[in-house]
Amino acid sequence: MRQPLHGLGYNTAMTSTAAPPSTSPALAVDLAGLCLANPMMTASGTCGYGYEYAELMDLSRLGAFVTKSVTREARKGNEAYRIVETRGGMLNAIGLANVGLEVFLAEKLPQLRKLRAAGPKIIVNVAGHSVDDYVSSCARIASEPDVDAIELNVSCPNVKDGLTFGTDPALLRTVVAQVRGAMDAKVKLIVKLSPNVADITLTARAAVEGGANILSMINTYTAMAVDIHKRRPRLANNTGGLSGPAIRPLAVHLVHRVYRAVARDAGVPIIGMGGIQYWQDAVEFLLAGASGLAVGTALFVDPATPIKVAQGLEQYLAKQGCKSIREVIGTLKLHGE
Amino acid sequence: MNATPAASSSPTKPTPSERRRFDVRVESNEPICREHFRLRMRVERSSGVFPATRPGQFIQLGCRQPDVAADMEALLGAEREWSPGEPLKLTQPELCGPLALLRRPFSLSGRGDDKDGTWLEIIHRVVGVGTDWLSRLRPGDAADLIGPLGNWFELPAGKKRGLLVGGGVGLPPMFYLTEAMKRAGWDAVGFVGALTSDLLAVKRVAGVDPATDGKPARCVEEFARHGFSAVVTTDDGSLGLPGRITLGVERFLAGLGDEQRRETVVYVCGPHVMMHAVAQLAAKAGVDSQACLEQAMACGMGTCQSCVVKIEDRQRPQATTADGTPWRFRLACTDGPVFDGRVVVW
Repeated sequence: MRQPLHGLGYNTAMTSTAAPPSTSPALAVDLAGLCLANPMMTASGTCGYGYEYAELMDLSRLGAFVTKSVTREARKGNEAYRIVETRGGMLNAIGLANVGLEVFLAEKLPQLRKLRAAGPKIIVNVAGHSVDDYVSSCARIASEPDVDAIELNVSCPNVKDGLTFGTDPALLRTVVAQVRGAMDAKVKLIVKLSPNVADITLTARAAVEGGANILSMINTYTAMAVDIHKRRPRLANNTGGLSGPAIRPLAVHLVHRVYRAVARDAGVPIIGMGGIQYWQDAVEFLLAGASGLAVGTALFVDPATPIKVAQGLEQYLAKQGCKSIREVIGTLKLHGE
Repeated sequence: MNATPAASSSPTKPTPSERRRFDVRVESNEPICREHFRLRMRVERSSGVFPATRPGQFIQLGCRQPDVAADMEALLGAEREWSPGEPLKLTQPELCGPLALLRRPFSLSGRGDDKDGTWLEIIHRVVGVGTDWLSRLRPGDAADLIGPLGNWFELPAGKKRGLLVGGGVGLPPMFYLTEAMKRAGWDAVGFVGALTSDLLAVKRVAGVDPATDGKPARCVEEFARHGFSAVVTTDDGSLGLPGRITLGVERFLAGLGDEQRRETVVYVCGPHVMMHAVAQLAAKAGVDSQACLEQAMACGMGTCQSCVVKIEDRQRPQATTADGTPWRFRLACTDGPVFDGRVVVW
C-alpha cells in the first residue's frame, strides 16, 4: 500500500531511527587538498563545538566540522534579544560569544580530535580585531595537531570592529597574507566573505591574492527588524545578520559570480552556504560553482539536515547519471550560453 | 514513567543524553479560553521511547508541516502515480505562504504513559505564524518535536509546601508540577492570574467560585484534581481577587508563620516583570523561589547562544550591574530554564 505523504510521520520515521549507510564515494570532494568524504559541513556558530548535537546527528557523517568563532579572549556576547525570526529567515546578533582561545584549545579541541578520528575534517573558525590578533590566534591554532583548516571570520556584522576586514580589499589582502605566512603550510586557509559589499569579486580577489586556499561564502547579511509598537529594533544590538532560506537566492548569485570572475580561473574552491535546508538547495550551490556546502540556520530546526542533504545529493547524482559530484560543480549554463 | 525529582536545594543541570527528535500525532487541540489552546500529542511508536521528563522541562515543537521536505524528495525520487484523494505535492514550499522557520519552545503542561505509549501536553497561545499553524492542528495531524530539554523544578528536602504561581502562558509547567507535588506528598496552592477572566487558561470547577478576597479555594480543575486549592486574580476584577497575581501571593505569604515560610517554596513562571515581582516578594518573606525563565531561542540545545539570561555569579563574573552585583550570562535552554529566583539578575 502506498504511504500517504501527508499525515503520519512519513519522512521522519525513515530517517530518524535506521542506521544510515556511509556516504557514497561519488560525494567525495577535494578542496585544494582538503579532501572530504562528502561536501557537507556545519556553518560556523550553528553547531557549537560539536558535542551539543551529538544525540541528534551523527557528526561522523559530515565532510567537515566547522567550529563556532574563536577569539583570543573570551567574549560574553551581546545583550538579549539576540535573535528574531523574520519571514523565511533568522536575524541574529550573538556578538561572537565564545570561550576564548585557551579554553578552546584545552577543553573543546580534544573532543573535536575524537570526532576527526571518525572521519570529518576539523575547521576552526577564527575572529579577531586586529591583524596581530588574527595572526597570533591563527598561528597558535594551526600549530595544533588535527586542525585541517582555519576559516577566517573577517565579516562578523555584529561586533563593532568586525566588518572592516571583510569589506576593505586592501586590508583583507594584508590580513590574509600575514595569517597565511604565519600558519603551518599543511593547514588550509579559508576566507569567509561578507555579502555586505558593493562588489564581492573585489574582496574575493583580494583574499585569493593574499593566499587564501579556499573561499567560503557567504556570511550573513546585515539587516534590521523593527518592533512597530515600541518603535525600536527587535534586537538589542539594533542590527543583526540575516540567514536562512530568505537569503539563499542572494547567496547562490554571489557564489556564481565569484566562481566565474575569480575562483574558477584561480583554482580556488568555494564552500557555498546561505539558506541550505533541502538537498535541492544544495544542488543550486553546486551548479553555481560551490564544491563544499555548509548548513547553518537549518541545523537549529533539524540537526540531521546535513546528513539528509547528503542522502538527497547521492540520489540526485545517481538519477543524473553522474559518477562523481565533480561532474555537477560549476556546470550551470546561463541562458544565451 | 515520570522520574521523581531529586531532592536538592537548587535547580540542577540535566544530562542531555536522551534528547532526540520525535514524531508526534495530534490527539486533541482544544481551545481552553480566548487565545489559548491545549494540545495533546501522542509520540509515534516509530520514534522510540520518550525519555523521562520532569515539570519545568520543555520541548522544541516544529510549527510547520513536517513532511514538506519529504514531499520535495518524492518529486525527484521514484516516479509516482497520483491517486485520488492524495494531496498535491509542494514543489516550492517556501512560496506556500508564511511558514515558521524555527521551532518554538513550549513547557510541558503534562505527560502520561499508557498502553499506547506516551502523550505530551502543552498549552499554546496564538501570537504569530507558528502558533497560528498550531491552532489549526486537528486530531490525526502530524508534527515533530525535539526533547525533552532543559532542567526542572526541584522539590528540596525539608520543604513541604509549594506556591505555584503561573501568569498567562506561564501556567503549563505549574499544571505539570501539581503531579510531582501530589506524589511527593506536598501541599500546593495555585496562583492563577490574567488580565481578564476569559484569558484565564484554566478549567473552572463547576459550582466553586474563586474567592474575591484571595482565600484559596478548590476552584481550578488542574489543581483541584490533586486536592489543591487555587487563588484566582484578574486585573479587571472580572473573576476572583481584583488585582495582580502578586497581590494574591503577598496576602498568602503574609498569612504564613515563620516556620511555615521555611517549609515553603515559591515556583513561578510567566511574564518577566511578574516573575521579578514574585521573586522579590518571596525573598522579602524569606521564602525560597524557583523561576522558570523564558527567552527567545533558536535551537534550545545550547548551540545558538541566543537565550541568554543574567545570573548572579561571584566566582566567574562577566560583568557587574550598576548596583554592584556580579553576573554571568547563562543559557535559558541548557543552564535553565529553571533558576533560583534569588540569583536571577532581573
